[in-house]
Amino acid sequence: MSAMVLERELDRLEGLWAEGLAELYRTYLDEVDGHEPELQPKLALAAALVEVGVRLQGLGGPAAPAAALLMGDLCLARSSRILTDSASQPIQIAFARAVEALSGAAASDGEMPAVRGLLVRALAAH
Amino acid sequence: MIAQRLRFESTHPTEFIDLTDRIRAEVRRSGLTTGRVHLQSLHTTLGLAVNENEPLLLRDFTGLLERLAPGDASYEHDDFTRRIDVATDEPVNGHAHCRQLLLTGFATLLVESGELVLGRWQSVFAVELDGPRERQVAMQLDGDFARKAASFREDLVELELTRLLMVDPEPVAAPMRRLMEAGGKRMRPRLVQLTAQLGPQYEPLRTAGLAAAVEILHNATLVHDDYVDESTHRRGRPTVAAAEGPERAIAVGDYYFAKATRLIAETGNHDVTQTIAAALEAICESQIDDVALRGAFPGDHDSYLRVVRGKTAALFAAACASGAQLSKASPEVVEALWRYGDLLGVAFQMADDMVDFSPSSGKPVGLDIRQRVLSLPLIYAAEDREVGPEVRRLLAGALGDDEVARVAELVASSAALRRVGDEARKLVEAAVQELEKVELNGLRPTLIGLARAAVDRDS
Repeated sequence: MSAMVLERELDRLEGLWAEGLAELYRTYLDEVDGHEPELQPKLALAAALVEVGVRLQGLGGPAAPAAALLMGDLCLARSSRILTDSASQPIQIAFARAVEALSGAAASDGEMPAVRGLLVRALAAH
Repeated sequence: MIAQRLRFESTHPTEFIDLTDRIRAEVRRSGLTTGRVHLQSLHTTLGLAVNENEPLLLRDFTGLLERLAPGDASYEHDDFTRRIDVATDEPVNGHAHCRQLLLTGFATLLVESGELVLGRWQSVFAVELDGPRERQVAMQLDGDFARKAASFREDLVELELTRLLMVDPEPVAAPMRRLMEAGGKRMRPRLVQLTAQLGPQYEPLRTAGLAAAVEILHNATLVHDDYVDESTHRRGRPTVAAAEGPERAIAVGDYYFAKATRLIAETGNHDVTQTIAAALEAICESQIDDVALRGAFPGDHDSYLRVVRGKTAALFAAACASGAQLSKASPEVVEALWRYGDLLGVAFQMADDMVDFSPSSGKPVGLDIRQRVLSLPLIYAAEDREVGPEVRRLLAGALGDDEVARVAELVASSAALRRVGDEARKLVEAAVQELEKVELNGLRPTLIGLARAAVDRDS
């Protein structure tokens, strides 16, 4: 992803980039090499945003304060929009199902599935 | 004849629960044009009353009931040693039964031209006398019913919402069902359904699916909003955060955010998914701005418009545009409808702000003041030459009951509400102008009526 595109997608989230989002992004880059080269950075960023977003919200744990929740909401919304702009329909659906699985488990006070595992599987959806 | 139950939970020992909006919504949904709504309390410690929803008056009523049947007086009903077949969980509530005798357990309301016949200040209350409890009021709608196409379309959305929630895990579905069943104007799904009729590929069932998804998305954002705003009630019921705790509220909001985006993705219409995704992002950005601006409460007009465009208008605009996109309407029509929705959304929010100062709204007056929510009447009152200094001084301090009441009084006495009303109506007329630019297959009067009704309301 070019620096300009990345900058646009990180608008308002710059602080998170330095606080772990960049590292997660690189982790997910390793999981998307089966996709078109121009799509890989967008998918990796979308996945990293979901992982950071639910962590910020405190999903499955103690509730986050309001400001962190809203930032988490923005991460999820940004991820959803990036996927809508660039990913296939099966990947968009798989990402949504991953968040449904996580939040459904959190609401049921059940064991939370591993976020990364869910998202890696979503990235492979076709 | 339609028979059903109004179910709700009370939260206080004595409480006036305003059912007016819910009954109005049921009348509209039923298609009853001329007839009667019969209400019957199904409990011996729950009364019914038609009176004014004015918080101080409700306190007077509570005081009156306490004087006539004091809670700490002695009642033979409470002497369990003298009663037979006393349940193990029998409450000590002789006072509540006696108070119910002073009220009524029945009410009949008239319906004309499809609307409840109520005086300007009249609201319909269930009066809890021994709460908090789960309660039911039986309701029958009787008379002449009109079944219009619009009514069938609304039914389709309600059925779709019911169906979609039915398959979800109960810990998320139950709170969302309670929120949705409590009412709501269903403006966004109506806009989707109307605008979807403008393209050559209109399919009612597919449209109902998108309309339901948009309504779910809207409600998901409300669940998180209520936690952020520390709201205890919405649509007369405890918020998800208040009833289930903040952890559950976050999970419920996330679940339905994700489900709605999935349902929208499943439409397979790229334009629709892009439109809704952009709106959702705008909503989240403006929520952050909204909270940030509370440090400079009550804010200014420009900040207000920026937040409201994202927070409310973005989904109105997206609802209007996505319906048309789903049915493959022309880009000119889609763009005109997006602008119409954007202007309507801002006007709608302004009208909502005004409702906070209306004693007949059924909502506690001054809730926005108490929660320091961005509100245009407050901004205008703070700018007012006469009341502005006192409004600003009060808002800068702690806001107890007295301060909130005084600010509400100052706002009402200033030109603020008139200015907001005028501005909202101007926006509606601008929205109507957008509709003049394109061919709308005879739907223009409906869209114009909907826009004007959105600002001329008191609830």
